[in-house]
Amino acid sequence: MAAVIETGDLSKVYGEVKALDAVSLSVEEGTLFGLLGPNGSGKTTMIKLLTGQIRPTGGWARVLGLDVASDGIRVRERVGIIPEQESPPGFLSAREYLEFVGAVRKIPDIGERAERWFEFLEFGNKKDVLCKDLSRGTRQKLMFAQAFIHEPVLALIDEPLINLDPLMQDVVREFLADYVRKKNTVFLSTHHLEVAEEICTTFAILHNGKILHAGPVADLTRRGEHLLPFFLSLVRKGRHA
Amino acid sequence: MPDLFVNLMKEEWRIHSTMFGSISFALFPVMVFFIVFMGSFLAPLLSSTIPGGDLAFLAHATFLLLGFMVGGFGILGNEVMNRRFGQASLLVYSARSLPLSGRFIFANFVVKDIVYYFFLWVLPFVAGYIAASPFTQAPLSRGLLLFPSLSLAFLLGLCVVFLLSSLYVRSKPALLCAVAIAGGAAAASALLSGKGVLLLFPPYLLYREFSWHLLLGTVFATGAMFALSVLLFSPEKESPAGSGRNVFPALARQLFFVPHPPLVAKDLIDLFRSGIGIGQTLFSFLLPLGAIWFVLSLLWDLLPSHGVIVIFSLTTGVIASTMYTWVTEFDSFWQYACLPLAQSTLIAGKMTTFSLLQAIPACFSGAVAVLAGRPDLAAPSILLCISISVYAACGLAFLCGLSPSVLLYDVRVLLSYLGLNGAALALCAALSLADPLYSLFSPLLLVPALFLVRRAKTRWDARDPDAI
Repeated sequence: MAAVIETGDLSKVYGEVKALDAVSLSVEEGTLFGLLGPNGSGKTTMIKLLTGQIRPTGGWARVLGLDVASDGIRVRERVGIIPEQESPPGFLSAREYLEFVGAVRKIPDIGERAERWFEFLEFGNKKDVLCKDLSRGTRQKLMFAQAFIHEPVLALIDEPLINLDPLMQDVVREFLADYVRKKNTVFLSTHHLEVAEEICTTFAILHNGKILHAGPVADLTRRGEHLLPFFLSLVRKGRHA
Repeated sequence: MPDLFVNLMKEEWRIHSTMFGSISFALFPVMVFFIVFMGSFLAPLLSSTIPGGDLAFLAHATFLLLGFMVGGFGILGNEVMNRRFGQASLLVYSARSLPLSGRFIFANFVVKDIVYYFFLWVLPFVAGYIAASPFTQAPLSRGLLLFPSLSLAFLLGLCVVFLLSSLYVRSKPALLCAVAIAGGAAAASALLSGKGVLLLFPPYLLYREFSWHLLLGTVFATGAMFALSVLLFSPEKESPAGSGRNVFPALARQLFFVPHPPLVAKDLIDLFRSGIGIGQTLFSFLLPLGAIWFVLSLLWDLLPSHGVIVIFSLTTGVIASTMYTWVTEFDSFWQYACLPLAQSTLIAGKMTTFSLLQAIPACFSGAVAVLAGRPDLAAPSILLCISISVYAACGLAFLCGLSPSVLLYDVRVLLSYLGLNGAALALCAALSLADPLYSLFSPLLLVPALFLVRRAKTRWDARDPDAI
């Protein structure tokens, strides 16, 4: 299978802080890749770099064959992104925000697609509410919808489940698994190790900007190990190193 | 109170010093000091054409205007508390997690802003004037008197707009009643006391005829307006979830003739639904310009007949250029970062929205020329005003990208901004005062403006948004 994401010695330095330190990764098409790491390990920086939102200070990265440093806009045209923190614009309603996304992404049937997402994520009764007045969970649903509304072949999503109730988390987990079965790829950054173990096919553990481990989840399962203890022992070792 | 206030002060310092370095921020008042210090040497030269009293009045009016320009807390308050800085998790956003009321935090926030403005603008201005007084033969006592009088002029302007904008948010009819009552009372006082318009402006009266009664009275009136404004502010007010009819697609379609219709439609909806578009037009545009017109009208006898209109058009242009900050203060690059939009595209969108808003100053400056009995100057006034405004806004876009209200406090950026605009303003003023028909050539400024905005796009695309 072809690699949809490839990085080589990818680095990002802010002043004296190394947010990412020579990260080399490869994510193959049709996988649900989990990037796991403690707070401040560099996960969000990694997603920003891979989507051309910021530029690397060293190394390289290619996403869908495009160099992220020079072709960031084309990368963002082709992928879907859920940022960790950003909210939709406060004074547009949920429906207007999806219309806005559709206009920017030039999606002709945006109205119908938006309706399908309102129905699927069960927030049709909130579609005319201004985004500033939406609950965090509903904003998260809206950001989820905007990331997938143009049916990208690759989605990079940062903590997509964090504000959702258990029922909706289940809907989203199912959606992601199904999405990957259709040969699409998901690059997921999360703290939810149980979720990662359940739905991810491959994973990497990032700590202090360095990759401590990368490989298929199946390898762990074969050894009778679970992700949480594996993660904790690796990160604790990394802290003491 | 002291802990919160001290931490808010520290936070404000760190926001600016992190963005462009402690030295650059700390040098800002030093720069104001030196500009005034050097400018003070021009005062004796100016006094040959403008009487000293009028010059002092202009200085007080300038500080009143500065207060007007920054006093819109009533409109921006809820944005500040709930959304505008929400993502950055600043202290002002902590009403929901600390056992402190929103009003208490807001009051501290406003006082902190006032203290910063005071140290950045008022104090260095007065210090610069006093430092130059031994060389300019200006009496030291007059310089020292400027300290309370200019400070009060600034605070009075700020508190008037703070109160009016708070009333505006609470109740429009209440605002109209308050304006009518205050206007009537002020006019009656002025007529009865025989001191004319000066009584309407106690800080200047204080400078002219100092008395402790007047000082205490002005301080009390200003403090009362501030307290009333804070009381009128209601961050905890429960409001039903706002909803909006789906106007975006139709509006974006109607804007087919401009570049980036979706971005412009979004900006216009933001301005309209937040109330900031109308509020800012009232309190950051029409009110300061009304005051400027009032001040300029006092110079009617000192300038050629077209002079007041020309200077007013130039000033309107400068104030209209701040509309670029209106359209950029709602969001940052990060709100668009998940979409295929470069910073250059966002700047182009903001400039387009800004250009549409220029209909307001265009109509305004044309109307003023007509109402002043010089309809022949309407076209030159409009051209002059809009050319200056667009040129200055393009300069802002070049220097500050999408964050003008923050980056302008970098002393290097401000110096560049003053340099860019000073030269253009001086040239336009000299030519248009000589003959207002020269204003018809002011659209030539659009050539460097276009160059600046093109450079702005490449400049900001080359910068990492994380670095801003």
